[in-house]
Amino acid sequence: MSEKYFHANHIIREKCVGCVHCLTACPTRAIRVRDGKARIIDELCIDCGECIRACPYDAVESYTTSFADLHVFDYKVAIPSTVIYGQFGSATLPNEILGALRQVGFDEVYDPSAICELNTAAIEEYLSEHLQPRPLISSTCPVVVRLIQRRYPSLCAQILPIEPPREIAAKILRTILPRTLNLPPEKIGIIHITPCSAKMVSINSPATMKRSYLDGAISVRDIYPKILDALRKSQEDALMRHLFPDALLSGIGMGWSLSGGEIRGLKKHRGVAVSGVRDTMRVLDQVEAGLLQDVDLLECTVCPDGCVGGPLEIENRFLAKSRILELVNAAGDRAVVDHKDVSRLYHKDFLSFDHPVTPAEKPPLDPDPARAIRKARRREKIFTRLPHKDCAACGAPDCRTLAEDIVRGVAEASDCPFVKKEKR
Amino acid sequence: MPDESVFRQEFRVRGGDFAKAGAVACRIKELLKEIGFDARLIRRAAIASYEAEMNVIMYAQEARMDLQVSPEEVRITVDDRGPGIADVPLAMTEGFSTATPEMRELGFGAGMGLPNIKKNADIFSVESEVGRGTHLEIIIRSNGHRP
Repeated sequence: MSEKYFHANHIIREKCVGCVHCLTACPTRAIRVRDGKARIIDELCIDCGECIRACPYDAVESYTTSFADLHVFDYKVAIPSTVIYGQFGSATLPNEILGALRQVGFDEVYDPSAICELNTAAIEEYLSEHLQPRPLISSTCPVVVRLIQRRYPSLCAQILPIEPPREIAAKILRTILPRTLNLPPEKIGIIHITPCSAKMVSINSPATMKRSYLDGAISVRDIYPKILDALRKSQEDALMRHLFPDALLSGIGMGWSLSGGEIRGLKKHRGVAVSGVRDTMRVLDQVEAGLLQDVDLLECTVCPDGCVGGPLEIENRFLAKSRILELVNAAGDRAVVDHKDVSRLYHKDFLSFDHPVTPAEKPPLDPDPARAIRKARRREKIFTRLPHKDCAACGAPDCRTLAEDIVRGVAEASDCPFVKKEKR
Repeated sequence: MPDESVFRQEFRVRGGDFAKAGAVACRIKELLKEIGFDARLIRRAAIASYEAEMNVIMYAQEARMDLQVSPEEVRITVDDRGPGIADVPLAMTEGFSTATPEMRELGFGAGMGLPNIKKNADIFSVESEVGRGTHLEIIIRSNGHRP
């Protein structure tokens, strides 16, 4: 696996039948069918997971950390996404779920809502201190960061340079736990639990730091049966816990996994939330054309409805969203973090990126602009001769992409079944 | 410019077609990326072509947008059939706008259109005839260093 283009999503050749579902679902046109099997082009893939959703044969899988991998650590810490609270119905309280994670084998489990609140406060402070440029774009969704690097390179400088909650939580724990536990840092495993197929990408090849503070990400899908089992075994305890709710959940942070949850806590600034990969691209196109300058923070999440629509969750996203909204309403505007502490961390640069996000554009048609222009002309000519049916039978997602692949030298006009027929 | 080294493409824009707002600017941006221009030039071309396209959608009946790209420059010309601009120097003033309240409601018509094109172009010219239409010529040079 190359360091530069680590991808979580990959195709299981034995399961792939070479149909065109993933080709047309891919928003960056990163998939081709060659020799009857789908292949992902490393440079173009943003790990959004649309192919996982589209594949009827479950042939797209995602690398995540398996529970068995954790045995190398003496002390295991879980930082779940707030999405976890939406997976088990209304009768199961957040602290029962956190308790179940302890029973499953984690030594310590941290509620994510407080850290999300901390992030909101830090973002607000950054927006107050930096009046230009606008809009700034949240870095929480790792796919959005990769989409901007590849498709909107001029917007790299508009990514708000504060690490997302999962990394901040891990950084705080990475700093304090070795001291309090008296253990070497490498013996402490800090694991994110997530419905997202792209978190492994931001952990293995982070865009804004040398090394992630997280050691891995377990999918909600993989850990769900274990949590369910633990919940069943501790029904008696659950009754007690209901009587003594001990977790202090943040109302401001609780909704972060829903689209709009991140901007909801902003008091002094205007935020706009967008969800879904195609809508995100539409809005980023507008930002690149100079629009939305009256918006302070643009929250984009490529999954529908936010992280709660992640491809690796169990509960359907509508029920999960409804459950999380119940918790948001119950917690109201309760704040559990002291803003003065956040401000101190913020001014110590503890929360910022180590380095800015840099572009990772797709190469032009040719390194020489004059030749690239000739190839663009040829591409247009080829395109006019293609049938414009976008059937994807050639192995490219649409006729325009086939024309581009031809001038890039990786496909031939005869790959098109209609062109072939004409020739006969 | 010798013909071989120039990429040309023609786009049609219909007045009032708000649903397609920005489509031509996006195509232009994609093309410039494929040719390998610097991200800052692409951003300038995206902003200028978007403003030009929106002017047509907001005020004119229809227009032809012509893109000509050589390694040295990006040239965008717009010929619209529309009301024309009575006072071109005034229209080039930041904040001047004849947008209706409905257009402003949609976030358009802050009076930044033409001044914004000028800011992002190396050469910008406007010719207009009231009652007939407007001709814009926008040139962005690949060695130019604007915002």
